[in-house]
Amino acid sequence: MAAPPPVSREPASNSSASDQPVVVLEQLSKKYGTFTALEDLSLKLYPGQILGLIGPNGAGKTTAIKILVGLIRPTSGTAQIAGADCVRDSHQIKRLVGYMPDRFGAYDNMRVREYLDFFGAAFGIRCKTRIARIAEVMEITGTEYMKDRFVESLSHGMQQRVGLARTLLHDPRVLILDEPVNGLDPQARIEMRDLLIRLAGLGKTLIVTSHILPELSRICDRVAILTHGRMRAFGTVEEIGRQVSQRRTMEAHLASSEQVAAAAQTIRRHLEADAEVTEVPLEATVRFRSARPEQELGEVLAQLVKANIRVTQFREVQTDLEEAFMTFTRPAEPTPAASSSPGGVTHV
Amino acid sequence: MFKALVLRELMTVLRQPRMLALQCGLVTLFTLLVAVRWPTDARVALSGVRSQEVFQLFALGLLAIVLLLLPVFPATNIVREKQQGTLALLLNTPLGPWRILFGKLLALSALAAIIFATSLPAASACYAMGGLSWSMLCSVYGLLVLAALEYLTLGLLISSHANSTDAAVRGTYGTMLGLSVLSLGPHYFFQGTKGALADGGEYLRSLSPFAAMMSLLSAGDMGGNGLISTTDVARRFMIGALVISTIAALWTVSRLNHTIFDQARAAGKISDDQSWQVQTARRLFFLVDPQRRSQGIGSFTNPVMVKEFRCRRFGRLHWLLRLVAVCAVLSLGLTYAATAGTLDWGVETIGSILVVMQVALVVLITPSLSSGLLSQEIESGGWQLLQMTPLSTWQIVWGKLLSVIVPLALILCATLPGYVVMVYIEPGMKLQVQRVVICLVATAVFAMLLSAAVGSLFSRTATATAAAYTVLLTICAVPLLIWLGRDAPFGHDVVETALQFNPIAAALSVIRLPGFRDYTLIPANWWFLGIVSVISLIVLLVRTRRVSRAR
Repeated sequence: MAAPPPVSREPASNSSASDQPVVVLEQLSKKYGTFTALEDLSLKLYPGQILGLIGPNGAGKTTAIKILVGLIRPTSGTAQIAGADCVRDSHQIKRLVGYMPDRFGAYDNMRVREYLDFFGAAFGIRCKTRIARIAEVMEITGTEYMKDRFVESLSHGMQQRVGLARTLLHDPRVLILDEPVNGLDPQARIEMRDLLIRLAGLGKTLIVTSHILPELSRICDRVAILTHGRMRAFGTVEEIGRQVSQRRTMEAHLASSEQVAAAAQTIRRHLEADAEVTEVPLEATVRFRSARPEQELGEVLAQLVKANIRVTQFREVQTDLEEAFMTFTRPAEPTPAASSSPGGVTHV
Repeated sequence: MFKALVLRELMTVLRQPRMLALQCGLVTLFTLLVAVRWPTDARVALSGVRSQEVFQLFALGLLAIVLLLLPVFPATNIVREKQQGTLALLLNTPLGPWRILFGKLLALSALAAIIFATSLPAASACYAMGGLSWSMLCSVYGLLVLAALEYLTLGLLISSHANSTDAAVRGTYGTMLGLSVLSLGPHYFFQGTKGALADGGEYLRSLSPFAAMMSLLSAGDMGGNGLISTTDVARRFMIGALVISTIAALWTVSRLNHTIFDQARAAGKISDDQSWQVQTARRLFFLVDPQRRSQGIGSFTNPVMVKEFRCRRFGRLHWLLRLVAVCAVLSLGLTYAATAGTLDWGVETIGSILVVMQVALVVLITPSLSSGLLSQEIESGGWQLLQMTPLSTWQIVWGKLLSVIVPLALILCATLPGYVVMVYIEPGMKLQVQRVVICLVATAVFAMLLSAAVGSLFSRTATATAAAYTVLLTICAVPLLIWLGRDAPFGHDVVETALQFNPIAAALSVIRLPGFRDYTLIPANWWFLGIVSVISLIVLLVRTRRVSRAR
């Protein structure tokens, strides 16, 4: 099968999307006896947005998802999808949400087309419409070539695609995908990533959980970090990165590794006393972290040039999602729970 | 390393709380079995007749328990390891296939030994009553050990060929029933005659541990009609069991290597893409070609029912149609043979064959179709997906029940032509046939709902299937065990009461089969089947509701 061309992602902003949020969670909590699985989770999502729900095992991601799809009842708080309450309007929720659990749910001796036909019929789609719809979702997910294969004999990557096709059958407004890229090879992962971006482009709102953070950072407009049932951060990857550290990480690439020591000395002279400066001679790079404002950092570059150090690149290194995740989930430094506003600004 | 394997195998089973419950249950059962028949009179006959009567019942009961409980352990053993990936790890160790097989066999034999150990106090009590020789006691336990060995090795063999645990359980219980019960059938009809058919029936009977045990205990043969057989069935059985065990063990060893994993993924071949000659040939052979591209599910059809038909290997339409065709031809053939005078069996005997054939099919097929209705979905992760559809719980359950009702209806209808011919030949049998049909329909409904209810209590399909088979076979077998002791130690009333719980006996008494015609079993049996069916339906609905509701 020829892989579809890679799709680039422009994060959907709240202003460009509809003003009405599709997913609204307010003070959502779930307790099992004395154990709190989820505590005061509040967030809003708009059409076309992709939310990455991340957290260590047992953080409450699956609990939040199951409440949204009506499989679990919250102890307190409310969850709404397109105005339908996840507890009271469970029948409506089934039509609004496409849920792909972390387990595929294969039936033995069933071909892919029969599998999709069954779920289409279960959603009450009339026979003629269903046949057309199956062809449509197969095209979207690139599963046409496997229509006569038995579902249990498909590879994991193929099953994930069929699972997504099944989720799309009834054309839901919100897609909730639990670990969609888990266990996929790099090629299949790229294809799945492109597919999710394309679906968001079609106006679907996606909630995706994953442990593969670089994947999420590439596709998500919003990221929510959960630990011990509480939301620690919510916002865009950049916003979360900025919250992680008040210091910025800068990098100076030099033309020659012989000048690394001299460059590091010059940088140290012009930074605060506790600034971290790291020499990487093998890469002809000096990396440093500083809380100094932009202007003063510009001065550092000027001093390097003045000292006859040939700088080929001088740039800020973005804090990645992995680093943010590790910071928020570090057990020794508990961070207060975050609350979010529709603008995606997180108050920590 | 070998010791570690045996210990792991044994501990995995013994650590389960249900094993402790099973052992306690067995001890209680054996104690009750002896205590109920323990002489209360101050005088005891010197010949020890009473003790022998009690021991006969005890030995047959123990054999039934061994056959009902033991096969599930070997049946799930290899296939589960294969699914969990531990078999690949095991084959990667220096333990060869021989040591792996014998390790497994040793651990499973230890389980059988535990069952035998729980029966020893009751056996000692029988021995203490007198009238039992030491050699008789040893012979009975020797036969039990051989029977256990035979079914353990067969279970492991089937497990090594199966692709799912429930298929392995189904296959093992089917084989066990075939070898121990159905093998008795031909002898019943050909006994007292001469020729190849009679000899064949005699040899086939020797494969049954029940026939061997009856012969060893010098009890009247099952359905013997007063005829005494001079064949040493017990010796033949023991030789047969050893031969079968050896072949099964060798065959299993040959499977314990790369071949067990070396399977290509199904390519998903479709008949529609092949030449018209191939398509026609397949249509003629299969009647309903399973490889044809299926049509979309009709807008007004219950999708769950269609799904069940499509995704089950056992009970797919093309197999059922063949089964029905065989039943129909057989029933008509038998009826014709009886009327043409080529067989001197009489209409009642022909009717009995039809009844036995249908009940055997119902009892064999129903648990495998209906026990996993809920557990299969839970195990595969499909239940969560079904819950996410707008289908109501009732629609799901009804669709699943329909997928069992249709094949059962086909099986029941298959022999109707035979009954119609019987009534045509002998109009006086109309009422009998009507009652038999009611009995068979009630048995099918009862077997379906009971299996579904018992299966719904478990989350694993293999356990659900094994439990459903055990419960259904217990209901069918225990009254028949009591019926075997119909002259002694049990009186007419006790046997009649016991048989009232047995759907097979009710149908056989209605058709007036010798041995059953003296008992009045309906309508009491219909009441029993009806009440249990209603309770089972309630249990099934409650369990379904429980697993469906948001927690």
